Amino acid sequence: MRKLNTFLLIGTAVGSVIVAESTGPRGVGPEFAKFYKSDGTFTCISNPSHHINFSQINDDYCDCPDGSDEPGTSACAHLSALSPSSPEERSPLALPGFYCNNKGHRPGYIPFTYVNDGVCDYDLCCDGSDEWESAGGIVCENKCKEIGKEWRKQDEQRKKALRSGQKARKELVRQSSRLRKEIEDGIGVLQIEIRTLELKVGDQERQLADVERSEKARLVKGPAKGGRISVLANLAKGRIEELRTALIDVRSQRDTALERVQELEAILYKFQEEYNPNFNDEGVKRAVRSWEEFVVRKNANPDVDRAAQDRDLDEISKPDDKENGIRWEEWEGEELGDTDVLYKFEEYLPKPLRTWIDNKLRDLRVFMVQNGLLADAHHSSTSDSKAVTQAREALDAARNDVNSRKSQLTNHQEDLTKDYGVDDVFRALKGQCFSKDSGEYIYELCWLGGVTQKPKKGGANTGLGNFVSIDKIFVDDEIPSDGKGLGSGDHVALRYEGGNHCWNGPSRSTLVVLGCAEKDEIWKVMEQEKCVYRMEVGTPAVCDSADEEKPRGKDEL
Amino acid sequence: MTMVKHGNFKTCAQSGFCARNRAYADLATSQASSWNPPYSLAPESIVFKNGQLEGTILKRVGVGGEMVRLPLVVTFLESGTARVTIDEEKRQKGDIELRHGSKARKERYNEAASWAIVGGLEVSVTAAVNKQTEKGATRVLYGPSNKFEAVIRHHPFSMEFNRDGQTQVMFGDRGLLNMEHWRPKIEKKEVEGEEKADDTKATEDEGTWWEESFGGNTDSKPRGPESVALDISFPGYEHVFGIPEHATSLSLKETRGGSGNYEEPYRLYNADVFEYEVNSPMTLYGSIPFMQAHRKDSTVGVFWLNGAETWIDVVKSRSSPNPLALGVEAAVTTQTHWISESGQLDVFVFLGPSPMDVSKAYGELTGYTQLPQHFAIAYHQCRWNYVSVEDVKDVDRKFDKHKIPYDIIWLDIEYTDGKKYFTWDPLTFGDPLSMQKQLTKNERKLVAIIDPHIKNEGGYRVVDELKSKDLAVKNKEGNIFEGWCWPGSSYWVDCFNPAAREWWKSLFRYDNWKGATSNMFIWNDMNEPSVFNGPETTMPKDNLHHGNWEHRDVHNIYGLTYHNATHHALIERKKGEVQRPFVLTRAFFAGSQRVGAMWTGDNEAKWEHLAQAFPMILANGIAGYPFAGADVGGFFGNPEKDLLTRWYQAGAFYPFFRGHAHIDTRRREPYLMGEPYTSIVTQALRLRYQLLPAWYTAFHEASVMGAPILRPHYYEFPGDERGFALDDQFFVGSTGLLAKPVVTEGADKVDIYIPDEENYYDYFDYTKYSGAGTKSIRAPLEKIPLLMRGGHIIPRRDRPRRSSGLMKWDPFTLVIVLNKAGNAEGTLYLDDGESFDYQAGAFIHRRFVFSQTSSSLVSENLAEAAGAKTAAYLKKMKKVRVEKIIIIGVGGEWVGRRVASIDEEGKQRKAKVAYHRSAGGKTAWAVIRDPGVAIGNSWKIELA
Repeated sequence: MRKLNTFLLIGTAVGSVIVAESTGPRGVGPEFAKFYKSDGTFTCISNPSHHINFSQINDDYCDCPDGSDEPGTSACAHLSALSPSSPEERSPLALPGFYCNNKGHRPGYIPFTYVNDGVCDYDLCCDGSDEWESAGGIVCENKCKEIGKEWRKQDEQRKKALRSGQKARKELVRQSSRLRKEIEDGIGVLQIEIRTLELKVGDQERQLADVERSEKARLVKGPAKGGRISVLANLAKGRIEELRTALIDVRSQRDTALERVQELEAILYKFQEEYNPNFNDEGVKRAVRSWEEFVVRKNANPDVDRAAQDRDLDEISKPDDKENGIRWEEWEGEELGDTDVLYKFEEYLPKPLRTWIDNKLRDLRVFMVQNGLLADAHHSSTSDSKAVTQAREALDAARNDVNSRKSQLTNHQEDLTKDYGVDDVFRALKGQCFSKDSGEYIYELCWLGGVTQKPKKGGANTGLGNFVSIDKIFVDDEIPSDGKGLGSGDHVALRYEGGNHCWNGPSRSTLVVLGCAEKDEIWKVMEQEKCVYRMEVGTPAVCDSADEEKPRGKDEL
Repeated sequence: MTMVKHGNFKTCAQSGFCARNRAYADLATSQASSWNPPYSLAPESIVFKNGQLEGTILKRVGVGGEMVRLPLVVTFLESGTARVTIDEEKRQKGDIELRHGSKARKERYNEAASWAIVGGLEVSVTAAVNKQTEKGATRVLYGPSNKFEAVIRHHPFSMEFNRDGQTQVMFGDRGLLNMEHWRPKIEKKEVEGEEKADDTKATEDEGTWWEESFGGNTDSKPRGPESVALDISFPGYEHVFGIPEHATSLSLKETRGGSGNYEEPYRLYNADVFEYEVNSPMTLYGSIPFMQAHRKDSTVGVFWLNGAETWIDVVKSRSSPNPLALGVEAAVTTQTHWISESGQLDVFVFLGPSPMDVSKAYGELTGYTQLPQHFAIAYHQCRWNYVSVEDVKDVDRKFDKHKIPYDIIWLDIEYTDGKKYFTWDPLTFGDPLSMQKQLTKNERKLVAIIDPHIKNEGGYRVVDELKSKDLAVKNKEGNIFEGWCWPGSSYWVDCFNPAAREWWKSLFRYDNWKGATSNMFIWNDMNEPSVFNGPETTMPKDNLHHGNWEHRDVHNIYGLTYHNATHHALIERKKGEVQRPFVLTRAFFAGSQRVGAMWTGDNEAKWEHLAQAFPMILANGIAGYPFAGADVGGFFGNPEKDLLTRWYQAGAFYPFFRGHAHIDTRRREPYLMGEPYTSIVTQALRLRYQLLPAWYTAFHEASVMGAPILRPHYYEFPGDERGFALDDQFFVGSTGLLAKPVVTEGADKVDIYIPDEENYYDYFDYTKYSGAGTKSIRAPLEKIPLLMRGGHIIPRRDRPRRSSGLMKWDPFTLVIVLNKAGNAEGTLYLDDGESFDYQAGAFIHRRFVFSQTSSSLVSENLAEAAGAKTAAYLKKMKKVRVEKIIIIGVGGEWVGRRVASIDEEGKQRKAKVAYHRSAGGKTAWAVIRDPGVAIGNSWKIELA
């Protein structure tokens, strides 16, 4: 057995770097040195029944079933559940690896499989001691001085970044708690308002009852003339209003549908252009052919003039007032008691509305007949007076007020029970967006919103998912030298799902894994498999104060 | 998952010449003994001189006694191989007219040999005409000690090939020889009424003589009908093997119907078959028209050298022996019918008698497997696609983190800038050097794909040069052929053209392809060639290649020419930097084994595809192309974890071992599988790495004697009839390792067949199996059924490393598996694994012999003589030692052995010996502790 290379002992121990001198045989870490006190024989650490001659330590032959006789060679590297099984006695390895002293930097263990394999693994063993045999003539100089210096520099930066990240997080938490407070306050205010408004509703109800009572008394004196027309007018007004709203809805649905058709057509044009005829897939070919035929048919029958149609619809959709539509006031108190008037109804309509309403009117008539309004001309029912109507409207308004506040209250209450992460920290970030230019695309992440991929060459944005939940996942990575990486350990991860659908696949989703950083930044975006994205993001939101104390894994440097 | 689109590929009935020849065979069969084939060898034309017989076959056409002259050459080679060539005189002389003003050559294609054949053509000086010849025949004695005899019968023309007085191979015994001679097209006159009846024409349907259409493409066929066909029978031979590539059993099935048989002939027409199905005679990506026939203790072979579309019918007759076949008792005779669309008739006959003899003789002609780069036989990690430099680096790191070895990571087409080969996507692969630097640190390699279609895009240097230098394949008008492939509109480099090959070389030079390094190797895909919008997804047959040969003539060779060009381009990419190339191909032909590995194309993540892979790899191996593998995991679809685990266990026994996946599949790198799968897969990978010395030795045997790497039972036990059809278990090289990886779902045991009375031991726990017959082996998910046959010595390297390159300096373990007599023997071949220095003697080649009588293990040098670089290499390897010797199946005499005496180059020392007694079905074994002998030295270890 050779002695440790003396140059290992050269180099300066700097600052906080702990230098642990190994006193045992090559490759033995200080915590195991006690097993290697020479008294002629060596007892395998986990197999006390095995005694070997001390000279068999580090003789590059594996004697102990736990490998403890070869702390400084790769001779026992095969003792692992990952190796093909064999009848030889095997225990789990007693040692964590080959101990690199790394004087001038931090000591650590390197896997036995890396020992004397002809590669200088400076990231684990900056002193080059893992290649003591110079397999194939390799010489690994001790680089701990420069590597240690560089590492300390970066470590200082990392610590600085961590500290400012922690500071920024504290600020975020403060903001979040302020926002929370605002909501809580809002809830209090709303509750008071609701109570007040409910009282008002009670008042209005009483008022309405009063008015109705007095109206009834008035009605006894003699039914108002023309009451039926009034009723009709009111009903028609309501009905028209309903139809108008319906028209607006249908129109917006039409617009959405048209947009969808256009989107689909864009997809199909792209598909037609880009599909891969290689596969000679009859299904795909058929689809392309049908699409081409569809395009031909479509061009033969161009869409109706939408602008003209829209102008008509605009006209129709305007609310009734003096300029547009029906002047309902004229009907109020109208004397004509004849149902005929209804058949002249059209004459009162502005021209653009007339044709359109014609069919609707027929429906209206049917409706009225069904409700007995047209058939029973001499029914004694009366219309509400203006006073009643006003009272009812006031009541409705009050009720609406209460309801809208109640729903606000529910929203606020629900919001308070939502998961905004530890310390509510994402509350402050919600809705904030930031992006990264990754060459072909710009990726945008909105906190608790959506993830979007924007092609730089033009074309539509692709949704990569909308926020669903906050999760925790285990990551086992190395932190790159610029610090923009996750490292090993549990990480907060935001799940974004239900993005744009993939052709022949699922809808896109993104797992956003967070690491501590001074400010929000997308580090890395990867499409791990088709339409499943992973985003690594730095943010102060996850800079726990515990991070500072977190011990580094043995193979992180 | 959908299945292959049968409608995209022709059946025999849709392929005019196949249909015509099948009809011809049916006619001959229906006429039985009254069938009078129109081919006669003119006796007066026969000349035998210098090992070669020449003559003219006359083909009777029409009633007027009109004869077509077909020159015949039978060459008897020094190796004992006979070659029969038949051509067409009129076409040799160019005395024909082509239709449509075609620029195509008039000769029958006569350059297939220049691609397939690289040696073994020395003509026999001892072959002689046998004086004892009956009338109407010529007999020639040839082969070793003139024990072979060729009988050439004059009318009708037919041949028999005898060995030791027994007929082994027959040509034309069914009278199916057919060379469709050139004829002008005669436009029919309707007024003439009935065509004049004559008995040959009456049987011929001219409907497929001229233009033929399929799937919207019309083949102009300017030379009309020109097929060549021959019936070849193997009297007494029940099994025929070979003619890859087909997804079928190793022992070929009959193809003319019947229970369990195919209806279609085996087809050879290199094609990009999307989602191919198992158990089918359909054509696939490659073609080797070489067939072996095997019966008890005899193997023979035929090599049908033709690069055109070829169909092969196989039928087995159980009738009484053919009266012409000497000394053959009533047994099964396999009759084959070979049908090619064009070209010469050119057939080689190998008479064995052992399978190894046939492999060696075939390899002498077509070349042996290139001795690969050592890394190339380790594990390859591929996916369509690793998406960026970062992605590649990340996968590389993750393998290390999980302690899983791998050697090579692959880039599919997405690394390019818009599918332009020799470029890098500037956004995702903008820094290819940093990626290669990381890989190189741990002796890992990169493989990038380069396909033969060149994107037709302005400003792309490669296409500009291809056009300006006029090096592309042309269409029937002689203009550049444009088709569609990955990049869209593309042109195809024509590597039949020597100038194209020179140009191709230049593209790979580092100064031309920035970002490529010496650690980057190449994958050639789509070289059938795959043309998305072409007939049967390939080129029109009337396209023209260099020398104006029609694509029809050379289709099956195209892939080889392209693969070959890449191979040569990689040898020297920078002056003075010579290394062994590594190029994977999908399309192949006879001879492709010289220039790299192949894989079985786009399989599926299904159990039946896992099971299909071994028969395909075995078939390739016996057809001289053993560096073969299937995509581990299955290309299309997502494998269940059990399937993927079993696939890795099987893949550890593929000569070419690569995991690959389609772009639409989920990621499936072994470290993503989770436990226990990741550990089990890692064990399988480490098993492969542990046995790399044995694998490399097997590759060396393939490279010098054409031996398959995975050997079917009939190779190792040619007399054991029960093993002839086995194709789900096999031997690894000469190591005595007998493997039967699990390829079925849910299996927890396998029945493994043991062919002889030798002792066999479980590789992992030394359980002993003895006595011929079927043994049941427990095979839970973590277990690979793998036995060691007594009598062998297996070299291993047991230290797990990150890559095979990092094992270069590791010590060896020798596993001595004693036979019943207590003896064992094995070999080891070793070199630097990357350069050609082995050609100058820089290698170690040892034989290890353990003898019971002398109780000793000896290492003998197998290197014949030291070369210029021998000493330097041995010096470099001086410290590489044997660290452990495990002796399995030891007897009682070992109980008391404590010490072994070592004599190495005159120096003596001792090593400890430990004995482990047998327990519970597991045999007794012993270990010699660290004998420390150098692997390159001669030494002797004696046991007291």
